[in-house]
Amino acid sequence: MEEDELIKRAKEGDLDCFNQLVERYQREVYNLSLRMLGNASAAEDASQDTFLSAFRGIGKFRGGSFRAWLYRIAANACRDQLRSLRRRPATSIDSLPLELEADQPSPEDFAMRRELGEEIKRALAALPPDQRLAVILRDIEGLDYREIAQVTGSSLGTVKSRINRGRARLRHHLEQRRELFP
Amino acid sequence: MFKRKSECQRVQGMLSPYIDGQLGPSDREGMESHLEGCQACRRELESLRATVNLLHRVTMVSPPRSFAIAKAAPKPLPAAVWSFGVLRVATAVAALLLVFVFAGDATHLFKGGLIEERTAQQGTLMDGEDGEVSDTGGVPAEGEEHVWPVSELELALLGVVVVLGGATVVLWQRRRRGGEGALKS
Repeated sequence: MEEDELIKRAKEGDLDCFNQLVERYQREVYNLSLRMLGNASAAEDASQDTFLSAFRGIGKFRGGSFRAWLYRIAANACRDQLRSLRRRPATSIDSLPLELEADQPSPEDFAMRRELGEEIKRALAALPPDQRLAVILRDIEGLDYREIAQVTGSSLGTVKSRINRGRARLRHHLEQRRELFP
Repeated sequence: MFKRKSECQRVQGMLSPYIDGQLGPSDREGMESHLEGCQACRRELESLRATVNLLHRVTMVSPPRSFAIAKAAPKPLPAAVWSFGVLRVATAVAALLLVFVFAGDATHLFKGGLIEERTAQQGTLMDGEDGEVSDTGGVPAEGEEHVWPVSELELALLGVVVVLGGATVVLWQRRRRGGEGALKS
């Protein structure tokens, strides 16, 4: 079934149709939460909260990009989780490794890739949340600038600036571990 | 030299939108002509590109479970709904009555019902000049004002409000926990 039809029926209270939307987007929402929070159980909670809020509020969805609308809810859920994470320390069980696809032209070994992944995780965690969100949405989730502006409720100029500053900080952080680069 | 430095700063501020193809034609052309002649900016661009390429290689993780909303979200039992509604209304009514009685007491609305007045009245009866006690029993004699048991009424209403309010809060919390639990599969 087409997405528009699913949304229309979900608005009429059809839970099966809403759950089909969940199936379509849960991977993206979970990954956004995981990269924003760097904590598996908090990412799970944020994802569940996102879909619960979306289910309750789907009547307020007024068209446009459903993905951007959902990501906006997810970004708010992550903000709430970040607040509660500040109050309780994360355990090592909650920390999932960040994995990188193997680079075909210059294959690094597995251990090197794992270490590089950990550096990226640390670098992302060091970014201010607004810049982190913009960089994740652009470079990991693959949204365009306009969609990111919708998700974050900011202007295109602000989005450009956040992505620019976020990437520059990441680059600076990763340059300190230049030996890990292929 | 100074001009060159500020030009480099300007260009480096636009490297990210340049990589994403977000620059207008004139900005892009200006940037490309600067990059041709500036090795430092070219290095910056390559370094930023390498960072972006690394981020593109971050793999997507499969969620550990489905986040679908549970179908059998049990609705509160009709009896529970009914009793919760009645309790809420009863608490509100009792609280309003209590406020009314308190306000009345404070503004001497129940003329004969004030503790001081009643005590004074009883005192008069005890110390009557002729020592006779009114033969009307508990019924006020003609012209005598009815005595309202205001303080007892206040205490009783307070008790009712506390009990009803407590029951309402307990029921409300149970409903809330039940509802959340049902939605979280």
